[in-house]
Amino acid sequence: MSKQMSNVVMSAFVPGLGQFLLGERYRGLGIFLGFLAIVATTLWYGQPLWYLFPFLIWAWNLWDVFGLAAGQKHSVLLPLAFGLAAAYGIGWQVVEIDFSRAKVERAVAILRPMLQPDFIQPRRELNQMWVPVEVPCSSQPPAARREDAGRVATVTPDCGPVGETLLVKVTGLWPKTETNIFWQNPIGNPLMLGEGEIRMLTQMTDEEGALTTVIRVPTTALVAAPDPTLPQFHRVYFEQARPIGGYELSFIGNEVLKGALATVSMALMATGLAVLFAVPLSFLAARNLMSGNPVTYAIYLVVRTLLNILRSIESLIIAIVFVVIVGLGPFAGMLALALHSIAALGKLYSEVIEGIDPGPIEAIRATGANWLQVVRYAVIPQIIPPFTAFTIYRWDINVRSATVIGLVGGGGIGFLLIELIRVNNMRGVSAVFIAIAVIVIVLDYISAKLRERLV
Amino acid sequence: MLRIQNVSKTYPNGTQALKNVSFDVADGEFLVIIGLSGSGKSTLLRCINRLIEPTEGKIIWDDVDITAASPAELRKIRRTIGMVFQQFNLVKRSSVLTNVLSGRLGYANPWTSLLGIWPQEDIAQAMQALERVGIAEKAHSRADALSGGQQQRVGIARALMQNPKLILADEPVASLDPVLSHSILQYLEQLNKEGITVICSLHFLDLVHRYATRVVALKDGVKVFEGSAKEIDRAKFKEIYGEEAQEVRAASL
Repeated sequence: MSKQMSNVVMSAFVPGLGQFLLGERYRGLGIFLGFLAIVATTLWYGQPLWYLFPFLIWAWNLWDVFGLAAGQKHSVLLPLAFGLAAAYGIGWQVVEIDFSRAKVERAVAILRPMLQPDFIQPRRELNQMWVPVEVPCSSQPPAARREDAGRVATVTPDCGPVGETLLVKVTGLWPKTETNIFWQNPIGNPLMLGEGEIRMLTQMTDEEGALTTVIRVPTTALVAAPDPTLPQFHRVYFEQARPIGGYELSFIGNEVLKGALATVSMALMATGLAVLFAVPLSFLAARNLMSGNPVTYAIYLVVRTLLNILRSIESLIIAIVFVVIVGLGPFAGMLALALHSIAALGKLYSEVIEGIDPGPIEAIRATGANWLQVVRYAVIPQIIPPFTAFTIYRWDINVRSATVIGLVGGGGIGFLLIELIRVNNMRGVSAVFIAIAVIVIVLDYISAKLRERLV
Repeated sequence: MLRIQNVSKTYPNGTQALKNVSFDVADGEFLVIIGLSGSGKSTLLRCINRLIEPTEGKIIWDDVDITAASPAELRKIRRTIGMVFQQFNLVKRSSVLTNVLSGRLGYANPWTSLLGIWPQEDIAQAMQALERVGIAEKAHSRADALSGGQQQRVGIARALMQNPKLILADEPVASLDPVLSHSILQYLEQLNKEGITVICSLHFLDLVHRYATRVVALKDGVKVFEGSAKEIDRAKFKEIYGEEAQEVRAASL
């Protein structure tokens, strides 16, 4: 009885020690380490409530050592449940889960534009007209008047300093059409003329296609000027647009298509390049070919290890390195994908080679065939279909990776995506999402169909 | 006339598969080799066309020493020795016709054959060989689409393409249903009657009695019996195969 008590006392001070001394070594060690881990994380996160769990485990441990001493073994389900509860609770805290932070208005702000992906737009024609204005005035400013294709635009006075009020008149535009009026400085940057100089000034033309409005020379008109006192010609622009039926790719839509093409070709180039290197490497990494003598076996081990290391580095991380080496763009992404694919394909190919049936090789040799004929008739038919299937599969994976690799500067549609996110163009982002989904689904389907026929 | 003289084979791992085996095979014989799995039957058959190099001894065929042949001479010898395997050893993804044509590789132009181009007469011969084994209609199927018995018939057709003077059959029916065994062995028997020497390893005593003109028995790589099939009674069979032989034979009947 005293021995039993001594074990309980020992477990009270060091959880698991009593169990350990009673011969249940793994049980004792498990209790000790589990208790320690939970106490440590609780100490770290310092929420008083969590001390309940180490206490419960400690209590269970006493009950357990008491039972063990009496020859009874209890299930460890209970302490495992305590440990899991503690881990889950602390995990909740570490991940900073807080559902109240999800705001409906923010979700609406971002999701509403996404319902209208910026991919196509109605086809329209533009009617553009401009008139030069001198800012600031020279001693003899030319008339601020311009005629072009029956349209006449004038500004009065002919020139002015920043902030000067100008009367703008234009005739001969399309009648009853909304017209954007904006400023353009000498280096070609548009400046807004509407409220606060951050909105577009728009006005309808009358039945004759004329409009009259008052503008002020924008405060930022001379920001880019090397010498603000030097008179230079700025322009006032009038721009009208009207639909002419049908649809066309929008500017973003065009960029999305270009990005998609870059992404698919990036994956294709990377896969092609990878195949060139992976095929010879796979023979070196095939155990059945290389285990003949110590030298080849050493080569096998080295190649295999290299491939394994390379394969374990995510292509996204390799891409960051290549972006530094060769600069931004699809080339860096292609190199990263290729390097990762060499490792992945090398391994898959070598497994195919390891799995070939030696029977046909023996049979073809027995017919009196020479070495090349044996390779052509017994080896190649066995490896080409699985090699091709794995290559197509890799291309499929590379297309998915290529979309993500753009995010770190690897070019293609991912690069476009991150740029659109930065300028908060959610309609563009939504167009990119759709394009990525379409590419992945289509390629997934094609690759599955092709592989089905090969295997 | 094939003479096997004091042939021994020791594998690099030290296993001695054949120990000083000698016997002669006259032209036109149907010689059956019996013995337990691992007794050296497969090694012996592969030593004859040097798929396995014998460590010691000579194999002389029609006064040509196969064991001393150069690689080029060896290929010329191999093309006249057909071989049929337990596992059929067809290229599963290739068509039946391609598998049969590959039997012709020893005769074919080495360059055009690499491109997969075959002369019309070879294709005609292949179709004839397939007709002979009764599966001409499967010529364009993939080899693995065929049943085991059909695959072995493709194996025989491939051996036929070599216009062989000798056929080595390594347990040709061991992977097949017992009922199919006779159909396959009858093809070999027919070829044998046309003058092709057959050396065949077999397991079942009733098949041995039915087909063999002469029997060689191996036990642990040593020749323990050579004689006519009739001389092998149950007592002799038991001596070669050990105590479990009874059950094997009962199962085969």
